[in-house]
Amino acid sequence: MSFQTCWRCVSRASDPALLAYRPAQQSGIVFPASKVLFSTSASSLHDRGAGGAGRARKSTVKDDVPTRGRSRNFIAKKKTGNLDRGKRPAVGERKALRKRIVVSNTNALEVYGMQDITATSIVDESLRGQVLGIPGPVVDQLRAVEAFKVPQSWALFRRPAMLIRRETVDFGKEMEQIEQDKNRSIRRVLVGDRGSGKSLMLLQAMTMAFLKKWVVINIPNAQDIILAQSEYGPLPSTNPPLYTQPTNTAALLSAISRANPILSDLPLSQNTSSQTTLPVPLPPNISLSRLALLGASDPENAYPIFQLLLSELKTPGRPPLMLCLDGLAHIMGDTKYIAPPTYKPIHAHSFTIPKFFLDHLSGSSPLPNGGVVLAATSNSNNPVVPSLNLALAQLEGKEEVRRDPFRKYDERVLGVFNNGRGPVEVQRIGGVGKEEARALMEYWAKSGVCRQRVDEGFVGEKWSLSGGGVVGELERAVVRMRF
Amino acid sequence: MATKLPFRLAYRSSIHCPRCLNRRPLHSTASKQAGIAAPPIDLNNLPPPNASNARIIPASPSYFTGLPDSTDKYLSLISLLRRYQTLPTVPPAQAPRVAWRTLIQYRLLVGEPVRASKYHKIIEVLQRLNRIHPSVLPAEVSTAMETYKREVDPYAVQKRPAIIDEDGRAFGVGRRKSSSAKVYLVQGEGEVLVNGKAINNVFGRIHDRESALWALKATGRLDKYNVWALVSGGGVTGQAEAITLGAAKALMVFEPALKPALRRAGCVTRDPRRVERKKPGHVKARKMPTWTKR
Repeated sequence: MSFQTCWRCVSRASDPALLAYRPAQQSGIVFPASKVLFSTSASSLHDRGAGGAGRARKSTVKDDVPTRGRSRNFIAKKKTGNLDRGKRPAVGERKALRKRIVVSNTNALEVYGMQDITATSIVDESLRGQVLGIPGPVVDQLRAVEAFKVPQSWALFRRPAMLIRRETVDFGKEMEQIEQDKNRSIRRVLVGDRGSGKSLMLLQAMTMAFLKKWVVINIPNAQDIILAQSEYGPLPSTNPPLYTQPTNTAALLSAISRANPILSDLPLSQNTSSQTTLPVPLPPNISLSRLALLGASDPENAYPIFQLLLSELKTPGRPPLMLCLDGLAHIMGDTKYIAPPTYKPIHAHSFTIPKFFLDHLSGSSPLPNGGVVLAATSNSNNPVVPSLNLALAQLEGKEEVRRDPFRKYDERVLGVFNNGRGPVEVQRIGGVGKEEARALMEYWAKSGVCRQRVDEGFVGEKWSLSGGGVVGELERAVVRMRF
Repeated sequence: MATKLPFRLAYRSSIHCPRCLNRRPLHSTASKQAGIAAPPIDLNNLPPPNASNARIIPASPSYFTGLPDSTDKYLSLISLLRRYQTLPTVPPAQAPRVAWRTLIQYRLLVGEPVRASKYHKIIEVLQRLNRIHPSVLPAEVSTAMETYKREVDPYAVQKRPAIIDEDGRAFGVGRRKSSSAKVYLVQGEGEVLVNGKAINNVFGRIHDRESALWALKATGRLDKYNVWALVSGGGVTGQAEAITLGAAKALMVFEPALKPALRRAGCVTRDPRRVERKKPGHVKARKMPTWTKR
């Protein structure tokens, strides 16, 4: 005798008597011919799976009457309902709040007698250890290139000012030398403890460049261009493929155009009619500022226009160029972007913006009009890149740092730093001296954010607590700490 | 005979019965404990009249006590004291400081379950013997006392004086919870290195940095000394507070007069608190499991 087999669980009814039973088919309900009344598998599985049969289980009021042995405890579930009574923030509102940069605070005291930094006073050794204000137009330029960062405490003061430390004066002198001798260029990576002022050093360098009417191109946060938050696409006829990020390039062009008013005085010198690669016709004698805006307005054309702008800026007679990037380690590994055929992450060096910067940092793309390529590492948002750490340590002169045989090193990263085009400099930013720390504390006291008496003991104490004048720690200890 | 002994000891050391007086010259034992045991029987010169009735006489009269060895020792000390009780003494405060064996150590020495009260009697005699003026102390007495002295004399250990070494460093060890810090202080400008790193890289919290340098801060010496510390064990707070103690000890080497100020700042005394141990039946040291009905 063969039993009917359950279609779902391939089990057979053990009791032949049960097989004889078949409920009368109700009209409208399709009862599967093979459904058994008893199965070792969970019955709900059958009910759920067997389509129309599930309806047979639909509970009636009669069924809900508790029977003997069944738990009568029934706690009614509270209906939560719609408790959302508040107004939801608009799209992007919270992010805007998070990213908001406040560089002025009318509640802060005005520091009387504070000088402004000027193009000539950069190299003034006597200004070392003083806090100088940043002129208003330069503040706008710095905002345009996003040189101000959220964690920096600009919002505590009436207007942005900066401490002229030893490194600042030295850097100003080097910029002077570049202006004298246009063949010179500096390629430098800033390293140092957390809060030691690497990003501030970038800001100071950009301030000086703006004052000296250099052209500044700043990538404010390298993490933004590798996080795969904007569209990307392969560049045609490149092998190995190179990828572009149209939106990011357009944003960069926009920042360049807004931050460098000097570009509006520089007309396009090349004959663009011969340039077949450019997708849009350019009017003759277009200024570089308008050229950049043209690229910013249309992300599709952003990359060719960026290339054209860059080649224009390198033609003879143009001002020196300053390229800055913050968060170097982010562009020293794989991005979050995926290469379509292989579905493997794309290396950051295969993207045009990081490649543009790293070519200049490594020296493979020279700066014929002179200039500075400045990259800052970060210690608070820092992916682990052994190759970068190795290269920087060796460039810094730490001979004892050798390759760890148990680590993978990225030759593309190492190639940036030793490619036979002269070494990249590594500058370690440490703490400030006690005089400089004192100047900073006096400025804080004058701004009303430090209430203590600034004397030798106070300065010495805070200087020691901040690990030898690490500026960020100094600020934490003096301004932020409340007892 | 004028005695310098306290009454109790004088009573114990005095000879009460005339028989004992007579026996005294006869006393000599195989164990060289003069004045206690019976003389050895010379069986050659004085053969027993009836060999079958001969019995061995125990060498020590303490033989039939429960604690023969310790009783013998006590009696020998008493006799020693009796012999030298007339020697000049020094006041107790001027007597050499001696750490006698503890009761348990003495029990291990003699191998008998000596009672504390009995051992206390021995100690009393020893203390009296120790008071004999050191210039006239007989060798016999000092040899006898050696037996009762602890093997390692804790009073002989001299604390090495803290000094500033030839490189101008003072050293202090500090401990807190499970952490231990070796702190070197040198005159300088307030630079701090902990385990070779700047203090802001070791202690993320400013509070911990302040407590690590509290000894210097409280005395206003933060910009006068450089700190070089090695710290290990425990957590961040413990390490910071271990450095406090070590820095305070090192600072006292440079400036001993700062000790009261440092004590007021709480940097002198080691905080003995440790993590309380977990107990069986408890979830933690004291927490009990939650009570459930069934």
